[in-house]
Amino acid sequence: MRRLVRPAAALLLLALARDAPAWNSEPPADFGRVVLSNFTAKAGMAPAQFDHWRHRARHTCRVCHVDVGFAMAIRETKVSASTNQSGFHCGACHNGQVSHAGKPIFAACESSPKKAEEARCKRCHAMGDPAQRRKDFEAFAADLPRKGRSGEVDWEEAEARGRIRLLDYIEGVSIPRTAIKMDKDVTIASQGWMTDVRFSHKKHAVWNGCEVCHPEIFPNGPGAGRRSMQQISAGESCGACHGKVAFSLGDCRRCHVKAVE
Amino acid sequence: MRRIWFAMLFAALLPAVAHAQQASGKKRRPLPPEFGRVVLDKGLDKGPVAPVVFDHWLHRAKYTCRLCHVDIGFAMTPNGTNIKASDNAAGFFCGACHNGKTLAGGKKVFESCGGAGSADKGATCLRCHSLGKNVKPEHDFATFTRGLPRGRFGNGVDWEKAEEMGLIKPVDFLEGISIPRKSLTAQKDFALSPRLPGMPEITFSHAKHTVWNGCELCHPEIFSAVKKGQVKYTMSEIFDGKYCGVCHVNVAFPLQDCQRCHVKPVQ
Amino acid sequence: MHRPYVTIVAVVLAALAWLATSSTRPLGPSMALAEVPAPAKTSARDGWRKEFEEVCARTQDAMTLSTSELRSLVERCDILKPALEALGGSEGKVYVKRLLACRNLYAYVLESRQVQ
Repeated sequence: MRRLVRPAAALLLLALARDAPAWNSEPPADFGRVVLSNFTAKAGMAPAQFDHWRHRARHTCRVCHVDVGFAMAIRETKVSASTNQSGFHCGACHNGQVSHAGKPIFAACESSPKKAEEARCKRCHAMGDPAQRRKDFEAFAADLPRKGRSGEVDWEEAEARGRIRLLDYIEGVSIPRTAIKMDKDVTIASQGWMTDVRFSHKKHAVWNGCEVCHPEIFPNGPGAGRRSMQQISAGESCGACHGKVAFSLGDCRRCHVKAVE
Repeated sequence: MRRIWFAMLFAALLPAVAHAQQASGKKRRPLPPEFGRVVLDKGLDKGPVAPVVFDHWLHRAKYTCRLCHVDIGFAMTPNGTNIKASDNAAGFFCGACHNGKTLAGGKKVFESCGGAGSADKGATCLRCHSLGKNVKPEHDFATFTRGLPRGRFGNGVDWEKAEEMGLIKPVDFLEGISIPRKSLTAQKDFALSPRLPGMPEITFSHAKHTVWNGCELCHPEIFSAVKKGQVKYTMSEIFDGKYCGVCHVNVAFPLQDCQRCHVKPVQ
Repeated sequence: MHRPYVTIVAVVLAALAWLATSSTRPLGPSMALAEVPAPAKTSARDGWRKEFEEVCARTQDAMTLSTSELRSLVERCDILKPALEALGGSEGKVYVKRLLACRNLYAYVLESRQVQ
């Protein structure tokens, strides 16, 4: 019997390890971190580190992922110094001209940076000190509502309370359109023992519009985007955001809403 | 024994992380100069010249869709035309204009697939056969589109508005190839009702489409229904490149711009 | 007595004049057949192009044509098709495709009339 303990434990570890990132919340300062390294090695730079939390308090998901055109999978966008300098990707705002809170946003990517400018490169192209990052995050999230065991920010609540005001428009990049009103809630029937999922279009559309999800993440047609929890935790369907940037899947009750009696 | 444990744990975690990162989400949106790019690689993937990269934006600013896709006879799908160097050299397809003689903007259009390539060590060939090669295009996208009205997605240019303002004047007739025709009598605009309740109605404008396409480009090859309501178009088919998607996925304004078609709010 | 002389001289002068102008006088049919077979071929070539241009010139106003006109246009397209296929090579490839595009458009408009 004892001989089976170790192999059983190994199997359990294997099962858990497979889905670890999506289910368990990382420290909130590290949650939503994206490392951009398609071309950095060749350019002799450290990979660029992007923390979602810094931007998501200021902009809707839509403005970056639709208007500016960032992909939602790692290594897909192919951001490079030349695209940034041409005013695309990060360069849509990080160009020394677009201002935020009265100050111009630092320009990304210099062709031949002078010694004095290297500090600017390091704002993104640096592994960074995890302790410093945590300090920055705590300062940033000081008056934002927190939730869950790991103390992640409740962005929805933060917006409802008016602590954050998200910009849905970038001058020179966004072109305004009349919003399509889609307030329908969709009930996704659970196939197991869990209660059904109540998906709110209204809540999602406020930050995403239509284009972030349709049709690439959720193809059109009833039941077309249906995925199992296994697939979701691997990054498909709801997992495109949830577990990577939006609240992780361990928070079951946020989607598997208690059935109305 | 402990080392084996660590090795197993490491092996177990690695694919999980890699898998989560590779799962497909929203793909990268093509950059404005890349939108409308067609790669022609039939018979070229192993040959001496690289596959052809054709960016629609320059040609669409100068010519109507009809001129190339009806009069000259290009297909509406990549590799569908089955162009050969001999066709071009004989004055068909690309060679209809790219013959070293036809003028465009006062300048002679460079010869494609003729003797020019051998004269300048293949530099002319590289202008089109550029897949995987770092070729600097003759016309810079940013410079060319600078004064044009901005559009959402796609090339970032509102081509419709650009024509209205007279900033572009697409040519619709090529001497020796186009047939002199009478002016067009277009069908009326009509509304299409979406299947999803709550989505605004679609207003389809024949007038806007026929100005650039004529009739034969769409009928009956793309739209074969003879009676309204005979064929039900679904968004999934359209996103897949059928019907409206033949153009509005890769060359005309892309389907992400929902409100350009879904205009009328449901009363 | 002088009349026969006058006649002979007139005839000889006329013959000389005829010979002198022969280079500028257009060749009659009998001369043509022997010398230039090509013009007959050229006119057949030009023939298909002319027919093609006539037949496919009505696509812009197909909606205004009568049913009989449309039928006749479809027929003419069908008659012309083998001639274009016979061209072969790049030319045949292009013109057959173009012919089919306008033929199918006329057929499409016809069909929509029948449905109504």
